[in-house]
Amino acid sequence: MDKKLFVPHPGHFEGLQELLAGSKDIYSIFMAGSPDYIGTGRVNLGHASLEEIAQHTEYCHKNNVKVEMVLNSSCMGGNQLSTEGYNLLHWYIGNLEDIGVDTIVVADPYLVELIAQEFNIPVVVSVLAFVDSPQKAEFYEQLGASSIVVDSNVNRHFDVLEAIRDAVSCELKLLVNEGCLYRCPFRYAHFNFFSHVNGPHPRPNVQDDYYYHKCLTMRIQDPSLLLKSPFIRPEDLNEYAHITNVFKIGGRSHFINWILNCVNAYANESYDGNLMDLMDCPKDLMDLYNIPNKALDGSIQQWKKHSTVCHKCGYCKRLVDEIALIYSNKGTKDETLIPWNIINKKGIET
Amino acid sequence: MTLNNLLKNRADIENGMRHLIGRPIMVTELDLFALPCGCSGLTVNTRGLLVDDLEIFESHLLKLLEDISQSFEVPSKFVFARIIPGTQEIASLNMRNLCPRCYADFSTTSGKRPRPDIYILQLIKRKR
Repeated sequence: MDKKLFVPHPGHFEGLQELLAGSKDIYSIFMAGSPDYIGTGRVNLGHASLEEIAQHTEYCHKNNVKVEMVLNSSCMGGNQLSTEGYNLLHWYIGNLEDIGVDTIVVADPYLVELIAQEFNIPVVVSVLAFVDSPQKAEFYEQLGASSIVVDSNVNRHFDVLEAIRDAVSCELKLLVNEGCLYRCPFRYAHFNFFSHVNGPHPRPNVQDDYYYHKCLTMRIQDPSLLLKSPFIRPEDLNEYAHITNVFKIGGRSHFINWILNCVNAYANESYDGNLMDLMDCPKDLMDLYNIPNKALDGSIQQWKKHSTVCHKCGYCKRLVDEIALIYSNKGTKDETLIPWNIINKKGIET
Repeated sequence: MTLNNLLKNRADIENGMRHLIGRPIMVTELDLFALPCGCSGLTVNTRGLLVDDLEIFESHLLKLLEDISQSFEVPSKFVFARIIPGTQEIASLNMRNLCPRCYADFSTTSGKRPRPDIYILQLIKRKR
């Protein structure tokens, strides 16, 4: 399949050099800028200044790779609508345009329209705008979007994806490895939280990320949630060929070798390893569960048929009992993998 | 104390909790720590462990923690869980050798929940 891969860039120049040297399959990198102007909905390792963004852009373009800036804060506290907020955003986006970045990703409809009206740079609707219907897609296209990252919750709802494809003529992108809970109840609150933590001052001083804790606890208790998560396996990209050939790999907070492993998997449309290796989030669980990716061959056909009513279908629950392994004594010489449900069957030993 | 001992104890307490509670629990980090106030001790960062588990298996969990503390020669006179306030989520289990100032803070409190984020499993008071 001839595809365009959008690949995360953690934000430091050495990382970018390593990334581009490590793969020829990168169509575009995407990165965050400085949180002092506008935040992003995700954790970022680097806070690139305008000078650094210019350096990175020049280097990418020399290597025939495009640059996408991610300004997808899902909450700006209303500041974007104030005079000061408008002036600041206008100044910052103007600088990005002068630098020559190729696209800008935003989540707020106001920013979609502002960029489309006042700048000569293609605007991309973030996955954090939650475009999950043809009606929403039409709305954003009318505002001026040149590309839409479809809400990953509908990654396995082919009827919805096909309806969105029919409704708009702009580019569609699919985020393949976000790994979030299907219909995550924390989604809005968590991204709003991230937007403030990774946005302009004042930033909340938080000891524990409740949403992340809860997300982990739910999956530790029920690994079928890992399979219900609407990721797209590398082997299944071709199933989406009639929707799009543009795919986005999440993972701005990971090391370069992790990113390159994902790029190679999706470029080759095959991965023989632990599915958890490819998931952007929650990365902690790759040290708990091992779900052999190849054991999921053919599952897409089931997910296409029964992607919404889990309690009636039960496919993921049965499948996870068959294939999911859990690490025991991880990190020691006695490290082993055992079927995950053995722990439940073993019961209490006191 | 060797690094292998640290790795082994992380795995041991994770296995111990899984077998005790009967479902997967994850120990994401096991730390020996020292603070500028003079406190020192051991922290077990957990994921998947809930306040309900603590209330039901308190004495068994305490035994697991005492075993691990002996391995590192950390006194287990003060053992507590750190909770995300207002939730069931336990962030960590801690064995802390209190400095005089922190001991004064904790020893004058009563009950298991002196603060919204702390659940005390054991506090053996010092003789005057």
